[in-house]
Amino acid sequence: MDRRSFLQSTAAATALVAARHAFAADALKVAVMIPQSGPAGLFGPSTQACAELAAETINARGGILGRRIEPMFGDAGLAPAEASQAALRLWKGAGAQVVLGMHDSAVRGALVGLFKAQLPYFYTPVYEGGECARGTYVNGETPQQQLAPVIPWIAAERKPKKWYMIGNDYVWGRSTNAAAKGFIEKTGAQVVGDEYLPFTADNFDSSLARIRDSGADAVLVSLVGGASVTFNKAFASFGLTEKALRLGTLIEENTLAGIGAANARNLYSSAGYFANIATPAAQAFAEAYAKRFGAQAPALNGLAESAYEGFLMLEAVAKKAGSLDVAKLDAACEGASYKGPRGSVTMRARHVEQDIYVADVGDKGFRVVKTFPHVASGQICKA
Amino acid sequence: MDAGTLLHALNVAYALATLALTTLGLAVVFGLLGVMNMAHGEFVMIGTYAVVTVQQWGWPLATAFPLALLTCAALGYAVERWLIRPLYQRPFDTLLATWALAMLLRKLVEAVYGKGYRNVESDLGAPLSFWGTQYPAYRLALIVLAIVLMVGLALWYRRSAAGLRVRAMTGNPVLAQALGIDTRRLASQAFVVGVVLAGAAGVLLAPLVRIEPGIGIDYLLDAFFVLVVGGLGTLGGFAGGVGVIGGSQAVVSSLFGQTSGYAVVLILAILFLWLKPDGLFARR
Repeated sequence: MDRRSFLQSTAAATALVAARHAFAADALKVAVMIPQSGPAGLFGPSTQACAELAAETINARGGILGRRIEPMFGDAGLAPAEASQAALRLWKGAGAQVVLGMHDSAVRGALVGLFKAQLPYFYTPVYEGGECARGTYVNGETPQQQLAPVIPWIAAERKPKKWYMIGNDYVWGRSTNAAAKGFIEKTGAQVVGDEYLPFTADNFDSSLARIRDSGADAVLVSLVGGASVTFNKAFASFGLTEKALRLGTLIEENTLAGIGAANARNLYSSAGYFANIATPAAQAFAEAYAKRFGAQAPALNGLAESAYEGFLMLEAVAKKAGSLDVAKLDAACEGASYKGPRGSVTMRARHVEQDIYVADVGDKGFRVVKTFPHVASGQICKA
Repeated sequence: MDAGTLLHALNVAYALATLALTTLGLAVVFGLLGVMNMAHGEFVMIGTYAVVTVQQWGWPLATAFPLALLTCAALGYAVERWLIRPLYQRPFDTLLATWALAMLLRKLVEAVYGKGYRNVESDLGAPLSFWGTQYPAYRLALIVLAIVLMVGLALWYRRSAAGLRVRAMTGNPVLAQALGIDTRRLASQAFVVGVVLAGAAGVLLAPLVRIEPGIGIDYLLDAFFVLVVGGLGTLGGFAGGVGVIGGSQAVVSSLFGQTSGYAVVLILAILFLWLKPDGLFARR
């Protein structure tokens, strides 16, 4: 989508709100599960804004199968059992026919078990891979996607010989580092250490001493949120920024704001989206977002924007299937494709092939330094 | 001493210094007034946001100190006067009331500053090279400051007339009142001093730590464990608590990893509650 058509469609959204009768009688209720509380609650407002913008944009061009999207939000920042309750209320109580989720994997596991492929479920954030349940369509980046092209590129650019891997002690941190190990060894470099820390860790001195002693010249940071902030600040204060480069696959705009640009020298982030990607589609999206939500809008980031992508994928798959029936969607989803803020995205094995961006950090935040087009997810789900 | 050992020794010293700084305020309030202030960590958090605020206004970072002191003193006075004072001698009610206060302060900061992470831009975190190792200069300053503060406080408590009155009040409040000591005013002052110490610790740590509205709980938990081990109302106990909790966590973490370090702290806390409920140096 080019910028002009994007802006036009967004402008048309406002006009169409007045002309609801143009749609089929019943609106399509979409349950949008986002963290409204808890540690990830930070991403709630920006994700909700992106979901609202997506619904308005799609409604402006005729909705989904001629039906107007009506988003309904539920809190997925709770424990999995409680988040399931919230989703159940939106599904059975309020009549949602599609679910879109931007939340952690524990909640995803609970929701997949709850829905049992009775309604389509679009899961959008970056995650560890491995979700092959029927009726579940994954838009997020996988470790293979974020690392397979990036580690060889860093090997060519910076020639690190020794990698140290650190992560939070849970499925995403461990899977990401496990995937990375293979890619690192293929470049001829060596993994000199890996360690996994509980979410409660707020002092990384002993880890930093080990990194220093290991002589590592590259560190893969698979820590999340606050842990990543504290680790990266301390990393810089020990003077390690010049000794070792850092690579992270979940260092987004909020995390970087906490770390501070001065502490982020030689730090690379790999993701499917950054707020300042310079492509026309991404810029048009950022402009539409700013126009819709004003100067006080919650800052854009890859996790929030993934909800927008999820809606675009819903639109593409539903159009291809001509139905919202899970069996028909499952049959049609292979090869479903759209062009959005991230670039051209194609569904394969209920995951997506998408562009991957590598950014380093300048005074004003992320700078995209390399783009890898159409990177495969590395997932093999049987149809 | 080789460079590696020196680095580890400094890390332990830093862990102890920060633990002492963030716990001191709670020790004062708990030890002198018997009030378990569950909002203690939130005052540390307010201290860090004082630095964020002056940075936003473009003021020099040092002005965060008076801002934090004034804010915490005013808040502390109001809280003691209208929340704590009616609840003296009702420890469980105080616990609940201050927990509610903690949530309120957290939400207020969230409403004003948002939930996102903040960073204090300063070159204070820059590393200093010496004896074959690199260590952040600011951390060295904090270690020295913590030692000076502890020694100063110990001297004040032992030697000064105000310290004598405080000891009289905690020893026997009724008798102290009969002797003409205004225990009510003294209690108010002790509470204000406690939360101001927490705010000041927040200002000092701001360039080094993660800043977001929810950080208070981290400081509260560590401070609580220190008091469990150290017992109430003695500086020796406080120093012992800091040494046992901070020292074992730092040493075990660097030898066996963070999970073990954290487990050791929890096990120690349980053992102390079970076997030595009055702490290392019991007053009774």
